[in-house]
Amino acid sequence: MPLPLSYSLRNLRARPARSVMTAGVIALVVIACSLFLGLISSLKRTVVSCGDPRNLVVMRKGSDNDGSSQLSLEAFQALRFFDGIARDAEDQPLASPELVVQPFFRTRGGGRENVLVRGVEPVALLVHDSVRISAGRMFTPSAHEAVVGRGVRGRYAGAELGNELEFGRGRWKVVGIFDAGGSSFESEVWVDVRELANDAKRVFPYSGLRLRVASPAELEPLMRRIDDDPRYALDAQRETDYYAKQSESANTLYILVIGIAVLAGIGAGFGASNTMYAAVQARTAEIGTLRALGFSRTTILSAFEIEAIALSAVGFLIGAAASIGLSILIGYAMGGVAFGAATFTTNVVTLRVGVSDLLGALLLSIVIGIGGGFGPAWRAARMRPIEALRKA
Amino acid sequence: MKYLGFILANLGRNKLRSALTGGAIMLAVVLVCLLLTMPAGLNAILDHAASNTRISVHNKAGIVYAMPYAFTRKVRQVDGVAAAVSSTWFGGAFEEAGRVTFPNFAVEVEHIGAVYPDYPIAAEQLADFQRYRDGAIVGRQTMRKYGWRIGQRVTLRSTVWPVTLDFRIVGEIANDRAPHFWFNREYLDQALKAMGRPGLTIAGMIWVRAADPNRVNAIMREIDDMSRNSEAETACETEKSFLSNFFGSLQGFVTIILIVTALVALCIVFIAANTASMGVRERAGEIAVLKAIGFGRRVIFGTLLAEAAALSVVAGGTGVLVTIGLTKLLQTFATWNDTLGPLGSFIVTVPVLVDGIFLSVFVGMLAGVVPSYGAARKPVVESLHEVF
Repeated sequence: MPLPLSYSLRNLRARPARSVMTAGVIALVVIACSLFLGLISSLKRTVVSCGDPRNLVVMRKGSDNDGSSQLSLEAFQALRFFDGIARDAEDQPLASPELVVQPFFRTRGGGRENVLVRGVEPVALLVHDSVRISAGRMFTPSAHEAVVGRGVRGRYAGAELGNELEFGRGRWKVVGIFDAGGSSFESEVWVDVRELANDAKRVFPYSGLRLRVASPAELEPLMRRIDDDPRYALDAQRETDYYAKQSESANTLYILVIGIAVLAGIGAGFGASNTMYAAVQARTAEIGTLRALGFSRTTILSAFEIEAIALSAVGFLIGAAASIGLSILIGYAMGGVAFGAATFTTNVVTLRVGVSDLLGALLLSIVIGIGGGFGPAWRAARMRPIEALRKA
Repeated sequence: MKYLGFILANLGRNKLRSALTGGAIMLAVVLVCLLLTMPAGLNAILDHAASNTRISVHNKAGIVYAMPYAFTRKVRQVDGVAAAVSSTWFGGAFEEAGRVTFPNFAVEVEHIGAVYPDYPIAAEQLADFQRYRDGAIVGRQTMRKYGWRIGQRVTLRSTVWPVTLDFRIVGEIANDRAPHFWFNREYLDQALKAMGRPGLTIAGMIWVRAADPNRVNAIMREIDDMSRNSEAETACETEKSFLSNFFGSLQGFVTIILIVTALVALCIVFIAANTASMGVRERAGEIAVLKAIGFGRRVIFGTLLAEAAALSVVAGGTGVLVTIGLTKLLQTFATWNDTLGPLGSFIVTVPVLVDGIFLSVFVGMLAGVVPSYGAARKPVVESLHEVF
């Protein structure tokens, strides 16, 4: 016969200070773990969500990102009329030539960061249809105007609607703010591609080309046609693949966080064990009585395990709530977390602790509960009733 | 000192509990040290590698906006300039399909040594660098990462220029934190010319060493004035200011690391406090007896506190040793992560270890204060009443 659940739960209340402290330790580990997991998954999501499965990225063979690729005007003119590219209402191909430059921007705090400035043509808004102008309007070509992403707005001096932004060799009037569903496009500034090439004095007018494919069936053949064209030495890949590769460095960070979580988890498990051992010790007589009454070893074992798991569940709930609160607080205090010194451009990531991050923390706290509770529960289960009663 | 035996005996009374508490504190100290290693590495770079007499000359608009190569020669003629070297990003990826995993630059072999006299590079290796056109000098961090040796040949495929070049490693920057890969700019220039291109006509960056620290500001002003109204206006700054700006965008991440570190430190307080209060509660009767036979409050308080502190110190010390071992292990496979930049290299520094020990002592005492104080203050009669 199993012991009622309330037996285990009520025992936690017997020494509230001790239970609260242990749950507190587990909560802190949960916060640390889910904050880190949240940070990395936010970074990954921000980068990966730039990719659209219907789009192709065309770059010079050998380049691993927009910033180091080059594309000539001739190549663009030839490529945009390839078969398999989607067309807009006016029968124009959805081919967006783009130039990427990383000039210095002054942050409002007086610092300096490299920001990704993307030179585009109006067609870019059709190819990247996740990008929407949320305030103001699109820039007018040749008017030295710029639209800035939501993450850029307010972070840099002059990055506000109607203000002038200073970068490269000139000043640019901010006429619009855009939204891109949380992707890292929001950390970019978009201007007219010709003006940008002029400003950066680039020999090649474009760094690469983004294409919208007419239908999924056309994707593979179009990629092959571009790869195999001997004239331009270009390489086409799915936009989703391109951004997945850009986010690869986030994967190594997961290893780091898992390491931290394991260490912290073992530590918290030790703490939980301690509390449970004390609980077992304090209740020696009680356990002896229960055994004498005929409750089996398994029953005792599971009752103490349930107690430990309940303890860690409380810890998890407190920790999960606190980490969500903390991530919101960090968002308010810092705006976003900036990443990417070595990749040359700043990616402003909004920290969000999501369900999957909390699941990771939940798994950790369950392991802490089961692992930390096992030793004490085992000791309780193995007690001989007569000795236990005599000790009391 | 005479109470030492008493304190140790008390610690040994419940060995399992002391071990578990000690283990938890130790792990927390390891975590704190590992986490602090990241921002500490950044500071170490700023404090040691960055010099105040070295000046970075780059285009005002950004480091990806180049300068004409000829400008290097003009900079060299500025009064007070001891040496100047141009350095241009090659963006070389080591493995064919791979990405850029360490910074590599085309430099002028005859000037590099004079601009970086503080870098530990053997003189004969610098001489070899000038002798072999395809020579390369590589930082120890990168050498270790790939297990390269001097004399070995490596191939880098540029992601910026349409070339793949073969290099012979002729020297090493003997610094664990140095990731640089330097090679002869003429080698790249000729490779580009051989393809019918105009060659390497730009300089991404020019590094200048001032002969006299007091002249640094004057030199920076003069160089910027020289380029004013040209195609490429420059902005000079000291190496220290350049690097702190360059790594500035990592500040947000560092803040998160520090928050998490603080949380873990708080964990230690909880764990240690929990144990201390358990010990005090169990021994309530004993403490009352001690007081009844004439031991003062201070002694009771002091011994209980010392017990908590002793456990933390031992655990903290072990944690520090484990950290040293662990970072050695981590170094072998986790070095340069391009998202983290310099934060990605785990090289534990002495200040971090000292922080770890101090933290454990401090939180151990902090955790012991409340229960010990309570036990010391409690009237004897009351305690004895509770027990008997």
